[in-house]
Amino acid sequence: MSTPLISIAEVGHQFGPYNVTIPSVRANAYAAAVGGDESPDYGDSLAPIMVVAAALTELIKDLGLFSGGLQTVHAGQEVNWVRQIKIGEKVYAAGRLSANSIRRGNHFATVSVSYTDSSGTEIGTSSSTIIVSGEAS
Amino acid sequence: MTSSNSQRAVGDALKSFERTITQDRVDAYAEASGDHNPIHLDESYASTTQFGTRISHGMLSLALVTEMLAINFPDTWHNGGKLKVRFSAPVFPGETVVIYGEIMLIDESDAGLIVTCSIGCKKPDGTNAVSGRATVPLE
Repeated sequence: MSTPLISIAEVGHQFGPYNVTIPSVRANAYAAAVGGDESPDYGDSLAPIMVVAAALTELIKDLGLFSGGLQTVHAGQEVNWVRQIKIGEKVYAAGRLSANSIRRGNHFATVSVSYTDSSGTEIGTSSSTIIVSGEAS
Repeated sequence: MTSSNSQRAVGDALKSFERTITQDRVDAYAEASGDHNPIHLDESYASTTQFGTRISHGMLSLALVTEMLAINFPDTWHNGGKLKVRFSAPVFPGETVVIYGEIMLIDESDAGLIVTCSIGCKKPDGTNAVSGRATVPLE
């Protein structure tokens, strides 16, 4: 098994940019997962947290956190959003490892992400903190 | 500012709701997010983990919290809202969670009134799966 990136990446390591454009089929799946009688009608817009989740999935893959034997805990999340986005609107997510330390045998990593639209304008930011255990020493 | 926003006050509870996190919802969230980690989907795999069974995505619980914010602040949450949360406990399929919030502070800024809320997702045993704070413009 290759060494997961989380074990060797240094602060400042860059991820992506990922295309996190959300098509209608995934927006519909989101509504099925989250929605209820009291849910707002988003029309042709998206809940921005869905874009954050899509970017997080890509980051987890690139960090090697799906590797066998690793136990991963999503410990914290920050999200700042500037404007509503549309289903199918092009959105790109660029990540940066902003912290990566080992405490008591556990890896604590924080990845900051900037989301931009097709014009390059930032439309949101997020920061995810992940704790990983079970790495080979 | 809408009339409902102008009437908000510190200490007000936000409109909350309950949601049962079924495995169908978890499966749908995997499709939505692209996160097909077997700890959420494969019972035989999940039984070998520290949790002993499948768990819901933490981001699904957070999505419910942002749904609550969109219900309470339909004009502004997605246009300038911010949140910071920690994930404290897993939610297991079949559990019914309560999504809640309360206004802690209303501040005047250059951009207008900003409300700060405590927010969270509470499990049936009363512990928080997700907890934190959100700030939302009121206008």
